[in-house]
Amino acid sequence: MRPPITPIPPRKSQYGIDPALVKTRVSELPGMTSVLLKELFPDLPEVIYPGAGGVSAVRKATEEALKNIDMSRIKPEHSVNILASHHGFTLLGGEPYAEMLKTLKDVIEARTGCNNIRLRAGVGLRFRETEEYIKRYGLDKHFEGKAIGVAPIDQGIPIETEIGTLYGIRKIYDADWIVHAHNSDVREVHFHRQVDRAVKPFGMSYARIETRSTYHQNLGPRAANFTARAIFDSPFVQGKFAFASFLTVAPNGIIGVDADSDLYALNDRVTQIGCRYYGKMMTLFGEIDECIAALDFPCPVVYVFSAGVIYANFAGANTDLYDLDLPLPAYTWYTEAFYGKAGRPLLKDIPPLNPAIKMCVHNYAWTGYPSAFFSEHIPTVVVGQEQADLFNRDPQNLTYLKHAVVAETTEAAMEFAYKTTGTRKVLIFDGAMGGINVSEPLAELLLKKAPAVSERVENELLPKWLRQRGIDMSVLGKAAS
Amino acid sequence: MKVVNLLAAVDAEKCRGCKTCEKVCPVLAIKVENHKAVVDTERCRGCAACEQRCPDYAITMVKREQPVVVKVDVSAVDYARVEEICRRARLNPEQIICYCTATRAEEVAAAILQGARSPEEVSFLTGARTGCKVECIQPILRLLEAAGIKPEPPKDGWQWYGRTVTVWEIPDEVKHKYATRGFYFDEDIKLLDRVVAAPLQGRRES
Repeated sequence: MRPPITPIPPRKSQYGIDPALVKTRVSELPGMTSVLLKELFPDLPEVIYPGAGGVSAVRKATEEALKNIDMSRIKPEHSVNILASHHGFTLLGGEPYAEMLKTLKDVIEARTGCNNIRLRAGVGLRFRETEEYIKRYGLDKHFEGKAIGVAPIDQGIPIETEIGTLYGIRKIYDADWIVHAHNSDVREVHFHRQVDRAVKPFGMSYARIETRSTYHQNLGPRAANFTARAIFDSPFVQGKFAFASFLTVAPNGIIGVDADSDLYALNDRVTQIGCRYYGKMMTLFGEIDECIAALDFPCPVVYVFSAGVIYANFAGANTDLYDLDLPLPAYTWYTEAFYGKAGRPLLKDIPPLNPAIKMCVHNYAWTGYPSAFFSEHIPTVVVGQEQADLFNRDPQNLTYLKHAVVAETTEAAMEFAYKTTGTRKVLIFDGAMGGINVSEPLAELLLKKAPAVSERVENELLPKWLRQRGIDMSVLGKAAS
Repeated sequence: MKVVNLLAAVDAEKCRGCKTCEKVCPVLAIKVENHKAVVDTERCRGCAACEQRCPDYAITMVKREQPVVVKVDVSAVDYARVEEICRRARLNPEQIICYCTATRAEEVAAAILQGARSPEEVSFLTGARTGCKVECIQPILRLLEAAGIKPEPPKDGWQWYGRTVTVWEIPDEVKHKYATRGFYFDEDIKLLDRVVAAPLQGRRES
């Protein structure tokens, strides 16, 4: 068995505890090992990061991808907003995404002579998160002071769409041109269902509360992402849209940079990556019969990563998140909303959270996302009183600890989990790059199950998933660079 | 229901009176007076919107000595009217509309029946929209509308701008245009209609 991969280190943030308080990582405990993702799925694409070239490989790929982009409409006297989202900064340590943003600025400036190029970085529910990243990665200096974080409660701007007025953030659109700088990582497939993934930030990171509430409350679990398409297709946004640049990501790392003036063409390509490669990881995780989930990553509970799969998606891995014939996965906000006062779902066909998760050991994760649904439905042990205190101060998590218990150390939490669940299978969500940190019994199970999962996804599930999204498989030859 | 255990505190030396806090507060609990922000401690719901958006980092959230429990007693109003408002808004009365505080549609409807006439008043009474501050504005606006109330957004504020479309209002031509792209409008309508009509689980206390 391989030694564990070094996980993403704790990060100083107002949304997490002091990194010095994270004394032990779960991967350091006895019995832990790692599996390379290529061992599980040999057909995973080659990656440019992590790699020998470091982030310079990302710069080179971005420059290469931008060669085919027509920037002639951007004049020296114009202004350009490069639009970013917080999630990109949690991918593989954050440097690759920051490097793509810096390269975008440099190339646009060199090609067009325009030097009024700003960075507008949107957030989720942690309104200062991208401010932290802007400083951390030196983006404030690179953008010569023109880099800001924007939040969904900032001043809005009405946008007329074919389904009525929706609302964007004013500072997102206060330039002549916008450049959509994102990534293909699937992340919240329980929300977007890999429908218009590339368009989603127009209804989220770049949108006001009214629009985000429309997505999560007004349209239903499968129609929701139309809010993003409606905004993107609006004459107002189309009049400013210059092009998109995406870090293309597979579960094993950054596979390239894809840029296009046609966002829907790019969307079709990232849909294929998202369904094929992440689909295999999620389907494989759905084969896990029992386990302890260990959270150990610098971001909120739902977003902690393992092989590109977030905890929220593992919590729904008992369902096929990509299958649109399935109305509700085990977890979305729609599902959460539909639990009645007696604690049971309002409809009998609402699936339970993944019963394979016997316990959750919360070794390290952030506040800033409503997570009590998880501790209410999955036995949860939080390591350290400091994390408990932090959650008890978070307006979004005032009842998280109502359902969880606190252990003094990582070792004690895991021992408790082993004894009470009876399983030694552990899946660690710690953002390990290129592989996945697990316990030895789980490594054996995953290696055994992977070949059949791969075959099922290729031959049965992938064609169905793409058909449901109107993606013609024959036109997918144009791979991301 | 929400336990309010924090309170916004202003550092007057850092505050430049820019009014951002005033514009983002979901319960209108902070105002700039004589160029300095002043917190109405009775009204503050500890959501941290002001602390998170103050450009001068002049606001911190401090622990309240005595936490305040904010809730509306649903049993104090006619439940038939609560149900009527919720179903008209196409929400099940027991449906959660605020994920941070687990506020259900029935509690918002009860707040409206007890006199709330705006999202700010609903938030003040129930605590909804004082967690993440983002996700629950639409069901609150839908419930107010279902009760025949058309609130005006606070003048010059950024608290909210307006109600937006629901899936029941998507035009047929739009549904038809995007039918093959994975947007399951009609199927979601069927699902949500079943949720709206689902029987209550029988516990009516708030």
